[in-house]
Amino acid sequence: MSQMITIQVNGESFTLPAGSSVSNLLASIGSEQESVATVVNDQIVRPDNRASFRLKKGDRVEILIFAGGG
Amino acid sequence: MDSLHIGSYTFSSRLILGTGKFSSSSVMLEAVKASGTQLVTVALRRFNREQPGDDLFTPLTSIPGITLMPNTSGASTAAEAVQAARIARELSGSPFIKVEIHPNPQHLMPDPIETYEASKILAKEGFLVMPYIPADPVLAKRLEEAGCVSVMPLGSAIGSGQGLATAEMLKIIIRESAIPVIVDAGLRSPSEAALAMEMGCDAVLVNSAVAVAGNPPVMAEAFAEAVAAGRKAFAAGIMEKSGIAVATSPLTSFLGTEA
Repeated sequence: MSQMITIQVNGESFTLPAGSSVSNLLASIGSEQESVATVVNDQIVRPDNRASFRLKKGDRVEILIFAGGG
Repeated sequence: MDSLHIGSYTFSSRLILGTGKFSSSSVMLEAVKASGTQLVTVALRRFNREQPGDDLFTPLTSIPGITLMPNTSGASTAAEAVQAARIARELSGSPFIKVEIHPNPQHLMPDPIETYEASKILAKEGFLVMPYIPADPVLAKRLEEAGCVSVMPLGSAIGSGQGLATAEMLKIIIRESAIPVIVDAGLRSPSEAALAMEMGCDAVLVNSAVAVAGNPPVMAEAFAEAVAAGRKAFAAGIMEKSGIAVATSPLTSFLGTEA
């Protein structure tokens, strides 16, 4: 069984296998159908880089969408 | 054609619509279509696994001719607004950013100092910066000099429906400004939007007045007509006021007794 790591996703704890990428994270929370922006530790991770960007223990990830606003 | 030019963009509609506070996404989308707007604001929000399908990017950009203008709502400092703008640009692909920094939820008045600092940085990064500001002619001019493509002074507090409470300051901003002046916030009814346009505003941004109307799509259409009428009147040249009556009919007497 692979080792698990805990990260913060949108302010909440989230556990996933060590070595997971941002793309893996999006797939596991079901947001791959949405147009999202991803930010890891205040650094923007562009769509092209999500598959190669490996998450580490303690990373703070923000997954953002466009919602209604004035 | 009397078009609105912002940066390198040209818009035939002078009504910008906000997308917040609608009862549902479908009502909002109907209102956007009915308004004929070409520029709509959106806000960044955390993705919620319990509520997938809240994402407005795809439905809004599926409407022909729509450009997104993300806002930096939620930011209370220039640094936060700059970060929000950079994230928003990744998502929207649009160079437009509405810089909106209001630290106090009680009145939502924009912070002029943080707004100026954020706008200056973002303009240098190539954003088309449209700051939401207090109706302050000095600040408006400083933002123009900092490279903003428009200034968006408030008519009155966000969502208050108090109309053009800042009218006299707006007139000074309009007179002094070399970039489009867009009244943002506080408008309640189409007549107020028409009045803003008659004063010489280049566009208006409306959200609450449409979103909380009994029938948002119809209200959106009413605002569009009012904005178009007000602009047309401004372009046609509105008569000067006179302190005394000026007759519209001949006063030469032919009903008198003398002949």
